Formats: sequence, structure tokens, C-alpha cells
Amino acid sequence: MEFGYTEEQLMFRDSVYKYAKKEIVPLVEEADLHGEFSMEVWRKLGEMGLLGLPFPEELGGSGASVVTCCLSTEALGHAGVDQGHLLALGAHTYLCTDTIYKHGTPEQLKKYVPKLASGEWIGCMGLTEPGAGSDAGSITTTAVKKGDKWILNGTKTFITNAPVCNVCVVYATVDKALKHNGITAFIIERGFPGFSTGTPFHKMGVRASSTSEVIMDNCEVPEENLLGEVGKGFGYTHETLSWDRSALLAPFIGGMQFAIEACTKYSQERVQFGKPINAFQAIQHKLADMKIVKEAAKMAVYQVAHDKDSGKPLNHMHTSLAKAIVGDWGMKAASDAVQVFGGYGYIHEYPIERFLRDAKLGQIGGGTSEVQRLIISRILSFM
Amino acid sequence: MNYDLTPEQLSIKDNFTKFCTKEIEPRAAMLDEAAHEEVAKLMKENIKKMAGIGYLGIGHEEAYGGMNLDLISQAIAGEAVASACASTFLSCGASSGLFGMPLRLFGTEAQKKKYLPGIIKGEIIGCFGLTEPEAGSDAASIKTTAVKQGDKWILNGTKTFITNATIADAALIFAYDDKAKGPGAGVTCFLVEKGTKGFSAGKPFDKMGFRGSPTAELILVDCEVPDSAVLGTVGNGFIQAMQTLEYGRIGMATVCLGIAAKCLELANKYSKERKVFGRPINRFQDIAFKLADMLIMSDTARLLIYQAAWAKETNQPESAVLASVAKVWASETASQIAHLAVQVHGGYGYMKEYPVERLFRDARLGEIGEGTSEIQRILIAKDLIRKYAA
Repeated sequence: MEFGYTEEQLMFRDSVYKYAKKEIVPLVEEADLHGEFSMEVWRKLGEMGLLGLPFPEELGGSGASVVTCCLSTEALGHAGVDQGHLLALGAHTYLCTDTIYKHGTPEQLKKYVPKLASGEWIGCMGLTEPGAGSDAGSITTTAVKKGDKWILNGTKTFITNAPVCNVCVVYATVDKALKHNGITAFIIERGFPGFSTGTPFHKMGVRASSTSEVIMDNCEVPEENLLGEVGKGFGYTHETLSWDRSALLAPFIGGMQFAIEACTKYSQERVQFGKPINAFQAIQHKLADMKIVKEAAKMAVYQVAHDKDSGKPLNHMHTSLAKAIVGDWGMKAASDAVQVFGGYGYIHEYPIERFLRDAKLGQIGGGTSEVQRLIISRILSFM
Repeated sequence: MNYDLTPEQLSIKDNFTKFCTKEIEPRAAMLDEAAHEEVAKLMKENIKKMAGIGYLGIGHEEAYGGMNLDLISQAIAGEAVASACASTFLSCGASSGLFGMPLRLFGTEAQKKKYLPGIIKGEIIGCFGLTEPEAGSDAASIKTTAVKQGDKWILNGTKTFITNATIADAALIFAYDDKAKGPGAGVTCFLVEKGTKGFSAGKPFDKMGFRGSPTAELILVDCEVPDSAVLGTVGNGFIQAMQTLEYGRIGMATVCLGIAAKCLELANKYSKERKVFGRPINRFQDIAFKLADMLIMSDTARLLIYQAAWAKETNQPESAVLASVAKVWASETASQIAHLAVQVHGGYGYMKEYPVERLFRDARLGEIGEGTSEIQRILIAKDLIRKYAA
């Protein structure tokens, strides 16, 4: 048991941090304020190779380990990149591209992975529906085979990157009676007949990621765009969970570190009653609490990354632990950060305001805090 | 990065859990409820038992009979001991850790030879005398004095809240030899043996929890010790104490984890047996989610303790901060977990027949002992300010 990183990992992390601070961070505040996904940010993420890290070099990636992927998204958050663009990166790389990479045919890999890994194409993943959130097995989007085509009908919602996507991995059921065992994955390209995306939602936080419905109205999908095997789709969504609880949570850890540093600095500059406010224990304790949460979250998230790098089967206790800590305790840390900044913490121009809005998603997106407790308590009931 | 326990660590976990479940846990309630004289006898027996499987020497050099294991292994074994009986963890820790570790780190060869083999065998019990009635969090404000007279030192003062005070054969006593030099250079640590003239222990305190581990004052009235009783060098005592407390913080976090893990185990078991409205109470989200919260908090505590142990073992620059982080998290969550465990047990949780009643009282020490939560937060914050506020 040891919790250090290799020299190579540390160097990579530092280079991502420096690059992001210089090239990306100056762009994100505007994007968040206006709720607009920035293609410039996206291009810069692609140029640094951050949109295809885990894939092999021959498919345009760098063959990075899960820990390294986490270090990169953590470094981006630490530099001050907004959680919106980082969510876009996460959904694209780990929920869409990785699913194609894991279950696609050689032709599908060749066709989609390089373009997605470079960022030329943007990917999204459609599972959630208006009537199927936490209970993901109850989706009602249907897929019916007609000749050499599949005809899909249904609506997906809360789909990160949908308004800007070129490719969407969609889950539909071939037979509702089969429940989970009827769920099947498809690769849909924008431009397939009957495929459209809705108007972007106005969100509380992660505002620079664009989110909308995905609508399939007699959408025609060629047979070669079936992804993996019929009826195996629900299993694929579970595999993405290990990414969802590692590389997609790591940006929040980086964000916490950003907030800790910003709050420590601000509380030194801000003088009240004749001394810097960090000379007051009430402020010191908030700084300490944020640090405690950050360490807790880091340990829980990298445990999932280590599990995945070691090729262990998905450990639901570990994934739910990571999600619950980042979601629930992260919310507390973000609220403390706003409190340290006082009135300025409530104002958009200061770098802390959006943290609280972004942190709220940690308790909802990709499995609510309640679902995590449901999973943990079910495992406990067998222990 | 590797979260896996080594095969050796896995076998330590297994061996200590088996031993403590059989030998220590059945005595925990008895220790908790015994009268003071009885507590002293029972705890001495427990220390002997734990020494029998090497626990008192787990962090000590092989030359003195120890196992010289790494800090993560010590935390693994410690959790098993604490889960069985938190008082036993505390008394063993005060002897082998708080007394033994400064000897290992700063003692002369003669001092180590004199005490460590006995500590490791459980034949000598040690304790650590830093805290005073008016010097707790502000340890630099101790009033105990040491005055050199010829080749002797004369000690005067009172130490309080000293774990093992009434059963100890030897104590480490921190005293100012030169107040003008301040804590950094004016405090010296002395080895004082039971029976030394002018040295005595007070009446055991009646505590809320950890009732199986005796706690009392140590009183020094013109207590004479030889020059050879100085631990390490004169003037180095405060630094020795602070370095020892870094280990102590990981230790206190570990005992809290043991308490928390036992609370979860007991509450989980009870929730499957207890039926209301026609079904086991763990089928209700009210109860199920409490159990999940207990797991989330205690598993995270374990990770933070392992991280702190690794950081200390490998001399990471943040090791002191990470020990404080682990201590705050483990102690505050243990209190919450014990609270939830009592709640899951309902009325039975309030009764002494159920161990969660004791665990609830034991858990409350964590936020106070070995540096309060408040002090830990100040230490963590000062480190942040030093790094980022410049």
C-alpha cells in the first residue's frame, strides 16, 4: 500500500496544470456566465491530447492509466477550469468514446475513436429519460429491427454535450418485457434521419457544458451501428460507472484545491477588525474543513482509479463511497468557500461563486447521493 | 499508487482480528464496568495478552524483541484491537507508543535496553506525562519544573489525564529546566520510575468512556531523579513531545476507526434481526441509509489513516497535516457513527447489555484526546496559510 505518484505522472500533472492556467482558464468565466460551451476551450483541450488520454496511440490516444486520467482532470480543476467544460470532457471521453472503444467492432473503432480522441467530433451518451433517472433499467426508448436497419423511438434527457454532439451512444430496449436484458447500445451520428437534439437547458451550475434532450423519432440506425451485443447495453452502462466515479469526479477534487488556495489567499488579504480574517479561528476552521474534505475525496476517488487500473471487477462499495463523499461533503466544502469570501463569494466576478452551483451537481448527476446509499445499504444487508 | 494490502498486512489483519475477538472482546464490558482496583488488574492482564502476540512490540526494533512493522500494519492491527476493546487499545498505546516511541526515537542505548524489552513483553507498563491541569492544548504552558542539583534533578509539578498513571512502572515527565529559553529549548523529558521518592499517582478519574483504561494525575513533589533519567538531551523535550504526538494522532484516529467499525458491524447485524411493521428494520430507508452513512464515514476514515501512516512512514512533507486530517475525520465521524448505531438499536442502544452503549461513550474521547479537533484544525489552517497566503 502506497499513495505516491510516479515522477512521470507528476510531471504530466504539472504540465496540464500550467497549460490550463495559461491557455484555458482565461476563457472559462465568460462561458460560465453566458452558459455557453466554448469551442475554443474544446480545441485547446484536444490540442493537449486531453480528450483521448486512455485510448491506444494508434487510435489517437496516449494509452494513459486511469490514475493518470484522474490526475489530468484533477489538474484541470485545480488550475481553475470550470466544471462545465470538465463535465463535457468527461461525458465525451469516458462515457461516449470509451464505450465505443470497449465494445465496438474494429470498423467502429477506426471510424469513431480517432475523431473523438482528437476532439474533432464531440460525443455524448444517452441513457437517462424523462421517466427513468435513478431507475435507469426502466427506460422506454425502443429499438425495432426492420430489414438491415434499426428504428429507434424515444426521448433522452439531461444529456451532456447533446446540443453540440456529432456522435451519441444511445441506449434503447429491444423488448421491455426483458427489462435490463433488453437494453441495447447504438452509435448514432447527427444527421441520421429522425435524430435531433433539443434546446439547451438553462442550468444552475456546470453552465458551460451544454445539455439537452435527444429525440429519436423513427430514427434510422444502420445495422453496423449497433454497439456490442443486443441486450448487453445495461452492463455497458455499469462499466462506465468506474470512469464516472474516478476521472469524472477528479475535477471536483482539483476544484476543491483551487478553492482552498483562493480562500486562503483571500482571507489573508481581507482585513476586518484590524487583522486579516484568517487570523480568526472561525475562518481557519473553514479552511481546515475544506482541506479535510479534499483529502477524503481524493483518497476515495483514487481508490476507484486504482481498482480499475488493477483490472479488478467493479467494486460498488468503492464507487458509491467516492460519489457520496465528493457529492455531499463537496457541497459542504463549496459552501464554506463561499462563506470565507463573504458577499464577494456571492458575486460572479469572484472565482468562488460558481463552485457552489457546480458542487450541487455532484449530489445528483450520474447517480444521486440517495442511490449511492441505496447501493451501499444493499451490500451491507448481505454482509 | 497502490491501495492493496500486502499479504503480510492481510495476515496481520486476520491474526489480530481472530485473537482479539476471542481473547479481548469478551472482557470489554467487564473492564468497562469494573471498580478501579479491578480495572487495574484486568488491564494488566490484557496488556500481557496483547504482548503475547507481539502487539506491544509491533512498532519497535527487533533488537529489543519488537516486530518493527510499518505504520500501516500498526494501524491495521490497532483497528482490530480497538474494535474489540477501545480501552485496551488506549492502554497498550500509552505504554508501547507514547512511552515507547520517544524511547525508540530519542533514548540512549542504556535507556532502551532498560525499558523496551519489558514494555514489549508487557512486563513493564509505561505512560506519558505532558498534560497538566492548566496546560492541555497549550502544551507549552506547562508549569512542572526540573532543577539541577549536582548530578540529580529535582522535579516539581502535577500532570493530569495520564493514561495508565495508576498501573505504570515508568513515566515520561516533561518539565521546564529553563523557562526563559521557552518551549523550543527549555523543556526536558525525564524517565521517572514508580517508587521514586516524591513521585505518586492520584486517584483514578471516573470517566465517561474508556473506563477500562485507568487515568489519573501524576504528582511530583521534590522528586529526585538521576542525570541518567534525562531522555535524549536536555532542552529537547518539547520537540520530542510534538513528534510523539504525530504518532499519537494516527493512534487516536485508529482507535476511533475501531469503535466506528464495531458500531457499524453491530448496527448492521441488529438491523437484520429486529423486525417492525412486519419486516427487518434494514428494509426501511431511514435505517438503511444510516447504515450507509456509517460505512461511508468509517471507510473514508480508514483511507485517511492509511494515507497518514504512509506519509509518516515515507517522510512526506505533509505528514503532520495528514495526521491531523485523519484524526479530525476519524474522531468526528466516530462520534456520529456511534450516535447512529445507538439510534438504529433504539431503546436497546441505551442499555448496557448492548455494546453500542459503551461504544457511544468511548467515541466521545476522540475529539478531545491527543489534541482536540479545534487544535487540529488550527494546525491544518496554519499550514495552508503558510503555503498559499504569501
